[in-house]
Amino acid sequence: MSFELTFFNDSSLIQRQAANEILKQNAVSSQFGLELTEQQALALVETRSLALKENGRIEFGGGVIDKLIYEFCDSPFISSVNYEQTLHDLIDIFYYYKNETIDLISDDELIKYMKKAYDGVCQGSLELLSGRELNRLARNLRFGELSDDSENSIDEEDDADDEY
Amino acid sequence: MTNIERTDRIDKLKLNDEQYFQSVIEQAYIVGLFSDKEIEKIQFDCFAFLAKLTERYNNGNSSSIRIETAQNILTSVMFTIGLCLKTYSSADEAAQALRDEKLEVLYQKGQKQIERKIHISKLIHSRITSNLFETPNVFYHASIVDSINGFFKLYRPDYFAHEINITADYSTCKPVNCTMGIEFIREYLEYLYYENDFCNHFQADNVHHLLCGYEDEYQNLLINIFEPVYISALGCILIHSDVYTLKLSCSDVKHLSRRLSGCSDIEFRHLLDSALEELITTLAISPKTAAYLNVCLEKVSIIIKNAISRNVPEKAFLILKYPEDTPEFKCSFSGKMDDELYRKVLQEVVACQTTEEKNQIIKKYIHSLADLEDIMLDAELSKTEMISVFQELTTGELAALAKKYDIYTKCSLSDMHSSEMRLYNCLNSYIAMLAPEQQSCVKEAAKIIRVIE
Repeated sequence: MSFELTFFNDSSLIQRQAANEILKQNAVSSQFGLELTEQQALALVETRSLALKENGRIEFGGGVIDKLIYEFCDSPFISSVNYEQTLHDLIDIFYYYKNETIDLISDDELIKYMKKAYDGVCQGSLELLSGRELNRLARNLRFGELSDDSENSIDEEDDADDEY
Repeated sequence: MTNIERTDRIDKLKLNDEQYFQSVIEQAYIVGLFSDKEIEKIQFDCFAFLAKLTERYNNGNSSSIRIETAQNILTSVMFTIGLCLKTYSSADEAAQALRDEKLEVLYQKGQKQIERKIHISKLIHSRITSNLFETPNVFYHASIVDSINGFFKLYRPDYFAHEINITADYSTCKPVNCTMGIEFIREYLEYLYYENDFCNHFQADNVHHLLCGYEDEYQNLLINIFEPVYISALGCILIHSDVYTLKLSCSDVKHLSRRLSGCSDIEFRHLLDSALEELITTLAISPKTAAYLNVCLEKVSIIIKNAISRNVPEKAFLILKYPEDTPEFKCSFSGKMDDELYRKVLQEVVACQTTEEKNQIIKKYIHSLADLEDIMLDAELSKTEMISVFQELTTGELAALAKKYDIYTKCSLSDMHSSEMRLYNCLNSYIAMLAPEQQSCVKEAAKIIRVIE
């Protein structure tokens, strides 16, 4: 008789439900030539489980994979060749920074920030997204720091957007 | 007519008061009130409700949450439902409720119980604080007023109902059984109320002098105040002296010791019971406080018995002490030399090769305890060098340093810097190296010295 949470993410029923939710997103992503198979969807759910475990988190409900697909499927830097791998990486990055930003930012805000940085200053580089932009965001949120290397920062791009 | 009292299937004694919800389920399963499927359903409902609460906790902004937080919310849910289940007259009925009612409904009922307990706790707390016994003991005020206020401020029954958030350093004579959330606070406050009520029957001054008899610096000690007062009050009753004064002389204590040590266990307990009865009447103690005194008598009798058997009855029956009558010597740590000169002296001391040279410079230029302390902290003297400096000091000077560094009370160890800690340790070792008579001279002198910064 357990009321421990550890088994929650590993429940096969929950994993299958999550995979079905992901597959529903094919309707949107297919407009951009991106589609996932059932096997790929299950692999993404597996990645989510591992990412949650690694970051000491638990998720109820549909999760964020659907949101990541919806937001990123129109990125010019994602094609059918790198679609699945990018999603795996984005899931990892997302949960890592959910912790790093000590839950001060909502899922939607974090995903939007990731997308803007990925398509913008990072030019499709997940390394830059994770190692620089999100790191800067986390630092700013945690310590209220102003970044010293503001060159190429997403904030500058925001200003530019506002200007024009 | 035969007794038609109903027999419950769940044995109440097998339930865990702290984890009531889980233990009801477990016992209900063991006696066959729940099937595997029903257990699974409760588990599933519990997690579903947790998901709902988590979403509310995250304000719908995040679908994931840290495991520790989720586990805490789950514990809170189970604690809250447990509180509701405790309101049923039997565990069987509680198990029935778990089967028939929605978990969320039980949770809401549990929340109502929490609200009620918070209300009662606040009421008890305000009664205690409005009539708080006056004592210079820092933990008494800090725990009863500040900590409990802190608890009410920090307590979040909606998500973390099982948390206490405070340390509740001050212990009551009767240990608190409940260990979680508002249940703990409610019980803790109740015991504090009785203890405070009892102490209020005596003049603060008398209690102060009684506790000085325990330890001069009792103000900074984490001791229960009620216990020694209770024991001394019983002692006064036993020798038919004025209980309000709490005054027992050395001969009174010896007499008590003789009288009690000659008793069998039953006689001993009977004597204490009668003394308590008389105490309650004499002081016109309220029935609830009297009941608490009765419960605590067991512990108190053990304390008395132990003290008598170890031949130290005065450790139980304290003898009043009046520190204000003790001569006091003021010792100044002020009067520092000019900064420039101090820097030069320090440089010289640091530059010296031998211990003797260092010692000579210190003797020549250092004329106040404040400078001596500074140089010992700043010059990074080795243990041998420090000890050679201590050897040059008089008993009074050593005692002043011992007093300043709380050698005998060890109160502020955690606040010390590493250099202060070194000085403290060296001083401690040096005093320990002295002959026993010298050691007691330093100790006695330290007792009557008052350090002025």
